[in-house]
Amino acid sequence: MTTQTNGWKWHSQYPELGTGPVPIEPYISPEYFKREREKIFRKVWLNMGRVEQIPNSGDYFVKDLVVCQTSIIIVRGGDGQIRAFHNMCSHRGNPVVWQAKGRGKTFTCRYHSWTYGLDGRLRHVPDERNFYGIKKECLGLTPVAVDTWEGFIFINVDPHPQETLREYLGEVGRSFEGYPFAEIATDCSTWEIDVNANWKVCKDAFQEVYHIFSLHHKSTGSAFASPSNPYLNVHELALFGPHARMSVPANLDWHPTPVEALAKRYGMLTLQKQGGSSKGMPAGVNPTGAQDWSFSGLIYFPNTCLFVSDGGIIMHTMWPLTENRTRWEARTYFPKAKTLAQQFSQEYGRATFVDGVLVEDGGTFEKTQSMLASGAKKEVILGDEELLIRHHHKVTERYLNA
Amino acid sequence: MAERQLPEPFQELEPYLEWSLATDRERIIKRKTSTMAEITAFYQAMLPRMDTILSYLEQYPPEQVPSDVQRLFWLTLSLAKIAPAVELYGESVPEGLDALRLVNVDIYPS
Repeated sequence: MTTQTNGWKWHSQYPELGTGPVPIEPYISPEYFKREREKIFRKVWLNMGRVEQIPNSGDYFVKDLVVCQTSIIIVRGGDGQIRAFHNMCSHRGNPVVWQAKGRGKTFTCRYHSWTYGLDGRLRHVPDERNFYGIKKECLGLTPVAVDTWEGFIFINVDPHPQETLREYLGEVGRSFEGYPFAEIATDCSTWEIDVNANWKVCKDAFQEVYHIFSLHHKSTGSAFASPSNPYLNVHELALFGPHARMSVPANLDWHPTPVEALAKRYGMLTLQKQGGSSKGMPAGVNPTGAQDWSFSGLIYFPNTCLFVSDGGIIMHTMWPLTENRTRWEARTYFPKAKTLAQQFSQEYGRATFVDGVLVEDGGTFEKTQSMLASGAKKEVILGDEELLIRHHHKVTERYLNA
Repeated sequence: MAERQLPEPFQELEPYLEWSLATDRERIIKRKTSTMAEITAFYQAMLPRMDTILSYLEQYPPEQVPSDVQRLFWLTLSLAKIAPAVELYGESVPEGLDALRLVNVDIYPS
């Protein structure tokens, strides 16, 4: 069980972050957003999805990366390699691919049928004689740096990334390597919503679990908070460069409702209520070796919160659109159901997660944003269990001032 | 004779076939637009039979499901959808975002 401490447990480990209030300006300022766009989103590795989205040669998906003012094609080539390109025809700039996903042998622009190979090379220009000696070999799609980690695909729109993906992920990445991502990610459910809130308002909700006892008290709070840990103090908060890790307790005395118990019989519930086993898993997954462990988060800078448990994964990615508008992507990964009873079980897990927890989380985003913009206050207050939010602001400042 | 709507052991659930809905979106709308009395009646009809229903559904892989079994399965998905309303909230939908704004997107190849 987590022990309550009178001292500030996390502050004592990271005193350099301070204890003062945090300014509201970064949540509402268009100028601040412009700087985040240029100095963070155009510079660091961004999580696009998983390799299971493009298992075969010619499979591709397209991601509109509004924050970087571009659209990206991610494709598996004939040689099995994953490549990324700006989705822009070399002729007059039309996006070469209009579909969100698909499979093909080439990409043909709808406008004038300029055709590119899966490797990005310009293969065919209709009525080529009409052009003034163009060199097709110099007119391929513009490549974007791409790499994978544990089956997640990352891109970096900086033409010369300052570090490799592995360098950027560093120690916290290594601490999750070997988690059975590929076994679990055989099936995926995605929900997307555009919310009228700054992307950090959304991310903050997934950087602390202090709100669970309150906001989620009807839906799921009692599966985590317990009489001995009523405010759900976590097992661990740890910082690793720009990223962070958290490990969250389960309430071992929690009792499922009747339908929840039926669902549990044929599969797991989201994030292992009643605790899960971390046996055989890498050190970052249950870093304190707690018996009452439910799930752990890799809080990836800038915009991904990846939560792993014994048998299931939940991932949130916040894509900024403007300073007060965000596309929030929530994904659950569970192994593909083998029977209809297992599908029922997974559907119950999704229903409590999406129609319950996400509805409750999302309900705060727009309301909070409108009040942050009111000007009534200039600062927000953060407690010790909200260390990761404080850390995010410090890391951002470091990038903006670099 | 009319086509059998549900597998033989579960025909007494036929009065609840309006809850047999193929898509997540239809099930959310049904939850939102039903009264707690309607939701509770469906819940109470399903719950005592769920042990048997799930043992039955456990025999079927998700591919190539006969249409009567499919209808039964969709009934259980509606139960999954409304169970939190009965067991956790005591109201049809929780306070927060409109769940219909969350758009389910299929990102894996079909």
